[in-house]
Amino acid sequence: MAYTEEELKKELETKEYEYGFVTDIESDTFPVGLNEGIVKAISKRKEEPEWMTDWRLKAFKSWQEMEEPKWANVKYPKPDFQKISYYSAPKGKDKYNSLDEVDPELLKTFEKLGISINEQKKLTGVAIDIVVDSVSVATTFKETLSKKGIIFCSISEAIKNHPDLVKKYIGSVVPQKDNFYATLNSAVFSDGSFCYIPKGVRCPMELSTYFRINQAGTGQFERTLVIADKDSYVSYLEGCTAPSRDENQLHAAVVELVALDGAEIKYSTVQNWFPGNKNGKGGVFNFVTKRGICHTNSKISWTQVETGSAVTWKYPSCILKGDNSIGEFYSIAVTNNYQQADTGTKMIHIGKNTKSTILSKGISAGKSQNSYRGLVQINAKAENARNFSQCDSLLMGNKCGAHTFPYIEVKNKTAIVEHEASTSKIGEDQIFYCNQRGIDTEQAIALIVNGFSKEVLNKLPMEFAVEAQKLLEISLEGSVG
Amino acid sequence: MLTIDNLHVSVEGKPILNGINLNVRAGEVHAIMGPNGSGKSTLSSVIAGNEAYEVTKGDIIYKNENIIELAAEERAQKGIFMSFQYPVEIPGITVTNFIKTAINSNLRARNEEKMPANIMLKKIREKAELLEIDSKFLSRSLNEGFSGGEKKRNEIFQMAMLEPSLSILDETDSGLDIDALKIVANGVNKLKNKNNAVILITHYQRLLDHIVPDYVHVLHEGRIVKSGGKELAHELEEKGYDWIK
Amino acid sequence: MIGSNKKTTMPLADKLVSSFLAFELDIDIQSPVHNIRTDAIKKFEKLGFPHRKLEAWKYTSLNKLLKEDYTLFSKKKNVLDFKNVKDFFLDNTESYKLIFVDGFFDSFLSQTSHEKVDVCIMSAALSKAKYTSIIKKYFNKSIEKGDSLSQLNTAFSKEGAYIHVPKNIILEKPIEIIHFATGNESALMLQPRNLIVLEEGAQAEIIESHQSLTDNPIFTNSVSEIFVSKNAHLDYYKIQNDRLSSSLIDNTYISQERDSNSKIHTFSFGGKLTRNNLNYYQKGSYINSTMKGITIIDDKQLVDHHTLVDHANPNCESHQDYKGIYSGSSTGVFNGKIVVDKIAQKTNAFQKNNNILLNDKSTINSKPQLEIFADDVKCSHGCTIGQLDQDALFYLRARGIPKKEAEALLTYAFANNVLESVNIPALKSKIKKIIANKLGVEIGFDL
Repeated sequence: MAYTEEELKKELETKEYEYGFVTDIESDTFPVGLNEGIVKAISKRKEEPEWMTDWRLKAFKSWQEMEEPKWANVKYPKPDFQKISYYSAPKGKDKYNSLDEVDPELLKTFEKLGISINEQKKLTGVAIDIVVDSVSVATTFKETLSKKGIIFCSISEAIKNHPDLVKKYIGSVVPQKDNFYATLNSAVFSDGSFCYIPKGVRCPMELSTYFRINQAGTGQFERTLVIADKDSYVSYLEGCTAPSRDENQLHAAVVELVALDGAEIKYSTVQNWFPGNKNGKGGVFNFVTKRGICHTNSKISWTQVETGSAVTWKYPSCILKGDNSIGEFYSIAVTNNYQQADTGTKMIHIGKNTKSTILSKGISAGKSQNSYRGLVQINAKAENARNFSQCDSLLMGNKCGAHTFPYIEVKNKTAIVEHEASTSKIGEDQIFYCNQRGIDTEQAIALIVNGFSKEVLNKLPMEFAVEAQKLLEISLEGSVG
Repeated sequence: MLTIDNLHVSVEGKPILNGINLNVRAGEVHAIMGPNGSGKSTLSSVIAGNEAYEVTKGDIIYKNENIIELAAEERAQKGIFMSFQYPVEIPGITVTNFIKTAINSNLRARNEEKMPANIMLKKIREKAELLEIDSKFLSRSLNEGFSGGEKKRNEIFQMAMLEPSLSILDETDSGLDIDALKIVANGVNKLKNKNNAVILITHYQRLLDHIVPDYVHVLHEGRIVKSGGKELAHELEEKGYDWIK
Repeated sequence: MIGSNKKTTMPLADKLVSSFLAFELDIDIQSPVHNIRTDAIKKFEKLGFPHRKLEAWKYTSLNKLLKEDYTLFSKKKNVLDFKNVKDFFLDNTESYKLIFVDGFFDSFLSQTSHEKVDVCIMSAALSKAKYTSIIKKYFNKSIEKGDSLSQLNTAFSKEGAYIHVPKNIILEKPIEIIHFATGNESALMLQPRNLIVLEEGAQAEIIESHQSLTDNPIFTNSVSEIFVSKNAHLDYYKIQNDRLSSSLIDNTYISQERDSNSKIHTFSFGGKLTRNNLNYYQKGSYINSTMKGITIIDDKQLVDHHTLVDHANPNCESHQDYKGIYSGSSTGVFNGKIVVDKIAQKTNAFQKNNNILLNDKSTINSKPQLEIFADDVKCSHGCTIGQLDQDALFYLRARGIPKKEAEALLTYAFANNVLESVNIPALKSKIKKIIANKLGVEIGFDL
């Protein structure tokens, strides 16, 4: 008879997280715990100027008075912030001048991740910054980019080499005291990427950052700042992986995007942190604050494929401050086994003729919980604002949940806002139809899920769409309901 | 090619087919006719392996193998094709993408290499032309928003692509206007050869003017109550189904 | 306070808690619901009035409302003359009537029944032995998890409508429930408590309204518990067209058994602040729950619709359709929540919320939510915010219809499908009149 669900489940349960290897490199890790001394030490280790140290300390003070947010539809043991190490760097030289200086073990890691830096360098024209644990270890293509005046480096370098830009924009979109995890990040961020595109420049290649948590017992707190000056364009992609570990690891990043007049930023994320094993043990807590500000005639487009992490809490948002600015959010969030995701976006319409589009596809399988939470706010002066939102959920089996929590707040009569949501499952008739054409059930599901997610997958840069598609399949294996 | 021996089938405990016997050889066209509720669609679904139907007795021998225990995709991979009366929609998956996946699945099942993209493309074009299918149609989502005629044409297009040994066309004529019917019938006729066989399931004789059967069987209350040549269809058309009851 | 002449009054919550003892002593401490009341006041004391930090009250603040110094129990029994209030009744329609004035039952204006059905009052039901079994079975049964306002109402539950329709009885005339406030007190708080039970196969139509007759502030915190048994059918209409000095919090809990059908229409045109908490609990299969609403408000009015449908069993349906038209500085809130339990397969749950803003100072906050734990379901929600169709408006004006009338027509058309399902003709024409009046036009909508 047919390959039964049970057999399929068994086969897939034994399939492990593909990226769950630990790289055996020596690292220099701070003792666990968090206090003013640690914050200062991080700043010192990174040879930061005094203003930056002060900025961190201010954030740390605020953080001590804040409480963890509880409103999201997720349940998890509260992380013990005194049991985390806030700084971990692969041992060796602190700075790398070229790839040759990078630990060969580390380079092997990238190859396993599917990022062969050398090859990337030659072929695809994607510039990459790579952050392992807390430190940026390699940035490619610097030269090509610098010819156009584009700055693409680690944020630590930017603090040293471009202090004016950093000073002006850091914390300008996500204020220090924005929320519990953003404030924590402001105090202890260890590295991340910085990108500046000068006026009128179209960045000729995809800029990409790969984040990886490697060291056990560490948190990763990276900070990304992208500034697109007037009439410039950049497409930016980040990818994330972590080894399989039994304990939960904390990832609390902040991403700030600034699109000045006429600029366009396309920011894509493929998030595949370790989701925990099939029994819900381990996995990354992914508590991320991402926000962009749009000035006149500018556009910010967020695309995300979220397949990893035990718990995700993330709302990439757009503040549409300038007239005629555009915000977009395209998301696929897949949860399986015991994963929980509470994700969505905020579109804040302030300027006139502002437009936003939200397209969210949630796929829940196993015993997971998948929530969309979004806010569309049309302020009183935002004449002729438009929003269209669509949230679709696909459920696989009835041990999981799919939830939609949209908030729509409109204070201007010229606004047109439309929100639609639907829930569906994979039909037995669809599967039989595929079977009859010789396509087996597992593949049929992959096909149907792909179709369901297609409108979002299409928004990803070509190079990563394939990777994302593969990730979807891997994440859903064994979830036939 | 296909021998059905004393086949009994029930759905949710209710018997639908009560002892079907049928023998189809390569190169033949068989028409199965019958009033609504006689079990025609059940017969096609059971041959294709739909698990919603329970075979309580009897065998289905295809190419000298009893296929009763095989999954739907295994039967398909062995060359059984069913054109659905109500083709299913799969949003977001284009006709092209779907047929590619299907062909490569079939090839993989036979331990053969994937079909190279250029050959695939050429074949798609060729078969689309045969069925007068516009190339725009191929990049639409599978059956989503298709008209009745488009859905049926798409089914025959897939048949052309997959080149099955045994094709079962379930009410392919329903929902087709006369022009679309001619295109579909013409397609089926061109695909027919001495090595394959076709079973037409239909309520009306109309389709049989265009695809001429070698044998006609009349199904009533889950049994074949009459068999004959193509003239039987005309007789039925004149006298109506009451005649056989 | 320095520089303030205003006499300091005790916060309302404290005032309520401290008057509870006197209230209970005054009525009947031997009552079977004594323990329920005592328990409820404790819960209220702990929770207090809801505030904006609570997710369910994010968009609606009670602060201003709670500042008034309300009389909690009207001292005097006022008598109303029918001819002065007849406009608030249905025209030319035979009906049962349960009329309350300043919280007291008015037997002259009412028309009760004890033949076959009980259409009478809570104070009787809570005190007379013949009702004890029904009270024990149903009273407060759906509210245990209710919020602080429902607890508060339970603590002071004393008067309201009591309707019991026995097995297979079909009421041939509707029941009108009207709560009048005469302005006898400078500010009055009312807490009506209604219990409505439809036994197996029973059918009833009920119309409920709250009407103040002066501009003295009225704060009504009403609770209705409704039980719709197997195969029973309920049609319930809430007419909210009170004066701008009155505020209403309506907490309605509906428990439905299998194969039952219940529809609630809420028409919100008047009142300063109106909050509707409409909660449906489906306790069997093949249940149909429908909630529809039209809200047309202006000035500084606020109408907040909170709906909850708890799909806890397979093969049930729910339909929600709320239309809102907001002008002036008014605020509309729609918060609809559909929960589908994991055993509730084959659920069909649909929710629609369409809004039109007519003024730049008006606001709409909409939060349609789905919480789904079963896979074989059809659930959807849609929410739109927009304006009247300008092309259609132009078309009507080009045919000679003045702008105001044209707008009114289009607004009416926008809300019309909610009116379609009103089954009482006199009620339908009454609502049409109110809409025309609200939109400031003198046209009839029966075109």
